Parts: sequence; C-alpha cells; structure tokens
Amino acid sequence: MNRDLMRTLAEARPSELNPDAPVDAATRAGELSRAMAATSAEHTAPSRRRSRLGWGLGAAAVTAAAAVAVAATVSGGGTSDRPEGDHPPVALDAKTVLLSAAHGASGQPDTTGDYWHQVAVERGYFQVGKGASGYVVASSTRTEGWTPNVKGGRFWSREQHLGARPATPADAAAWRRQGSPSTFMTVLPVRVAKGPLKEMPVKAAPGKTRTTRSAPVGGQKVFWLGRNVTVKEVLALPTDPSRLKASLLRWYDGHDTEAPDVPMARDTWLFQVTAGLITDMPVRPAVRAAAFRMLAGLHGVRSLGAVKDPEGRPGVAVATVEHTPIGDQERRLVIDQKRGAALSSQIILLKPKNGIRATWRPGSPITTTTYLASDWTTPTPH
Amino acid sequence: MADDERRFTAIYDACRQHVWAYAVSRGGRQVADEVVSETFAVAWRRLADVPEPPLPWLLGVARNVLRDHRRAEARRESFAAELRDRGAEPQGDIAEDVAERLAVLRALGTLPEDERELLILVAWHGLAPRDAARVVGCSAAALRVRLHRARRRLLRAVERAEAAPRPVRPQVGIVSEEMS
Repeated sequence: MNRDLMRTLAEARPSELNPDAPVDAATRAGELSRAMAATSAEHTAPSRRRSRLGWGLGAAAVTAAAAVAVAATVSGGGTSDRPEGDHPPVALDAKTVLLSAAHGASGQPDTTGDYWHQVAVERGYFQVGKGASGYVVASSTRTEGWTPNVKGGRFWSREQHLGARPATPADAAAWRRQGSPSTFMTVLPVRVAKGPLKEMPVKAAPGKTRTTRSAPVGGQKVFWLGRNVTVKEVLALPTDPSRLKASLLRWYDGHDTEAPDVPMARDTWLFQVTAGLITDMPVRPAVRAAAFRMLAGLHGVRSLGAVKDPEGRPGVAVATVEHTPIGDQERRLVIDQKRGAALSSQIILLKPKNGIRATWRPGSPITTTTYLASDWTTPTPH
Repeated sequence: MADDERRFTAIYDACRQHVWAYAVSRGGRQVADEVVSETFAVAWRRLADVPEPPLPWLLGVARNVLRDHRRAEARRESFAAELRDRGAEPQGDIAEDVAERLAVLRALGTLPEDERELLILVAWHGLAPRDAARVVGCSAAALRVRLHRARRRLLRAVERAEAAPRPVRPQVGIVSEEMS
C-alpha cells in the first residue's frame, strides 16, 4: 500500500530529526542524571523496589523456567515453536485444504454480540549479539481485545509480556555460553536510518497484565479490508466468493497498472487482505467460507501440509511468498479445516538477504500470531 | 551501576533521539528538550512498568507530556507550517527525487495533525502499526484504518500540489515485516 509514497516520506525526514544521530555527550549526561535524580528525591520506592525484584530476582528461577521451556521445544519438535522449511510430505494441495476449510466454516453458528473478542499470542524473534556469540530469542505477548459493535462501546485491550527465551536448542547453548542472562539485549531492526543498530532489552521473565480502554477513533470504521470498514460493513460482506473478491478488489490500488507481474501482485495482495479477514474480523460464517473458497482460486498459494501451530495444535498451512528488501518471506496461514478457522498466521524468512537477520537460517520465523479465541460476547468487558 | 540504572541508560540511548524528534514534530524545537526530560523522568520513576519494546511506551508518555504542555499546544501548528514553507528552499536544477521528497514534506504539512502524527510514527520512527497503536492509544485494527486513510490523504495532497515533476504513485505489493 503506497509503499513508494511511504518510502519517499521516510527518506524525506529532515536530517536533524534522524533518531540515529548521536546525542551530545553533555546533554546525555545531564538528562540521564536529571531523570534518575528526580526519582530519589520523590522517593517513589515501591516501583523501584518492584523493578529490582522484577529482574534482579533469582537468575536461577528464570534460568530454570527457560530450561524447562527449551526442553519442551526439544521434545515437541521444531515445527511447533520455530517452524522450519522442511515440511512433512504434502498430502493435500492448497485448493483441497481451502475448500475443506470453507466447508468447515459454513457449518459454524451465525451469531453476533456487543463485542468482538479475540485472544492471541504474538511471538517475535529477535537477534541478540552477533557472530559466534550471537543467538536468537523468541519473545511472546498475550493480547486480548474487544471491538465494540454497540453504540457508545469502547475498545478494550489487554496485554501481557509472557517472557522470552532462546529460540532453539542451539540458541539456548549460545545463551548459556553468555552466562544465561535474564535480560536479552536484542538488536533492533531500525528500518529508516543508517548508523549503528539499536539494542532493546527483553526480559526473560513474564511481565504484568495491562488493560487499556479507548473510544473508537476515526468513527466506527475499525477494520481494514483494503479500505476502511465498520463492523456492520464487515458483517454485510458478500457470501459469494466472486462477489467477495470483486468487493475487495475495488480497493486494490495496483489493479489498473500495466506491469507484467500484476496478477501475481494482485493475488499476493488478496491473500494478505483475505487472511486478515479470516484471522481478525467478525465475518459471518458464510463470508468466511467464501473467503476460503476465494483463496482456493488464487495463484501462488501453496499448501505446506499438516503442521502444528505455535501452541502445538494440529492444523494445515497454506502460504504465499513475498519478496522484500530483507529477503524472501513466506506468509503462512495455519488453518483448522474442521472449524474453518485460523489457528495462526506467521511470517517466515525463506531467503535471508539483508539486515540483522541476514545470518538467520532459511526457514526461521520472524513473527507468529496464534489465535486462541475469536468470539462474540455481550457483557461489557472489565 | 545498578541493574535498573543500566537498563534505564540503555533505554535512553536507544530511544532518546526518537523521543526528541517526535517532540519536535508535535510541539516544535522550543519545547522538545523539556518534553524529553519529563518523559525520561517518568520512565525512570516507572521503570518497572516500561514494557518491551520501550519506544512505543515512551512515545506514548511523551504524547501525554505534550498534551499537558501549554506551550506545546500553542506550537502544535508550527512544525506543520515549517514543513509547508519548505518550498522556499532554492530550487534550481534540483534532482528529481529531492523535489519529490520536498513535495511529500510539504504535503505532510497540510494534513490534519493526527494523520501527520501517524505517518511520522511509521515512516520516521519505523514503528509497526501495532506499536504506533500503543503510542496513540487505539487498537491495532483502528490504527491500520487510520494509517491507510492518512496515506491516501497524503497521496492526494502530493498529487494536488503536483510540485514534483513525476507524481508519486501508490504501489501495492509486498508487505514486509513491519506491516505484520
């Protein structure tokens, strides 16, 4: 979407606003000491104390937890947590998988409520250090959200850092060689600037749950489907695959260009938008079924066969490949065919090319989102 | 140095310039240093609450500091005006892409404040929509909607101004990691 425009905008940033420009040493010293002095004067000991506990507390406990987690990964097999490129033999082609999911979706009850409620676990993979001492950690966040479908309703969202740990046994070994730190200094993929890469500390230990509430912004148009749509519009989407496709494509900006690769680009776009519809949106069962049928007719969608999602639930994955500046990526949708529902969406680095992930093994995940619940509720969240 | 001091310093080093640049784009240079100071004072006091990654949280704090800041409020439009005035720079036989960037900056200066903010968070600070949503306090879904609208409006503004010899065309295609 307007990728060139956004790139031009990124490049247009006035140089004095470059976030990678060094801070003047005197300014840095002054600001740091002012910030840290301010607190001791105010004597806000409780939160300081909590902070010390939060991560000073027993490296042993954290290490033990991480060790258990790593052991689970080993015994659970690579696919469940860090999906690899090697798939079991593909028993089903993408079309069969998607049509079966469509059948599953159409059998689901057709209900609505005051709030569309979703629970998901998002897992990001980050590089720590580099070279022989470098390794990869997986950091997980549980998110829960309520989207209002009632006048005066507000958005609710709840988040919790579930902790972070080395992604694979090899990563765990490298982590232990570094003294098993309880905080990982991850390298940030700073996107829009040259200069040194930034580091971001990620705690191994889980964090607190945070709940926020907000009024719907930008009117009631709360979902993106290639265009801004309301919950009501999402509910009113066509139940016929070709009409659904046409409805989505009206908003495809690239469909009137004359580039030779247009059909491919269009289908990649459709896959992405439709996957979002399937994973995030409160569409009626018949629309979800139409969405699966529509995906079944797209170019470039292939089946990866039976997989386990990051929570270990069995499913079938379909995927498309996207060419990006950091390398080829695979966008995967893991489906529960019986229910016609999404279990997980994932972005996998197929061919690392540039950036901090250039040294990652092909098939390494970049991010995964696993959907634990998607349902309508009527009681107001609290 | 204690662990929390080390952590705080790391957060400061990773994020300070982002917070400063964000404050400049919202309230102008005159208040940016104060906003940075206040933001990091809050961060130190609430270090246990600072999530990973810290940047969206910090920008959210800076946003509140700015909102409560009288002078920042008064200067809200100054940065936009500054962007719009960029046309005054020497033109001559300026390279095409430079002209294009200039046109985009000027168009950015014509957008409503909240849309300009979103575009800056994403394009200049490299925030993913989910993280930008944390900054402005809405759901990720709503953020995507607003961002989409802001992009379209920016595109229209660029095309309307037509300052660049070559219009910037939307190009749909690959969505890389930051969109996921």
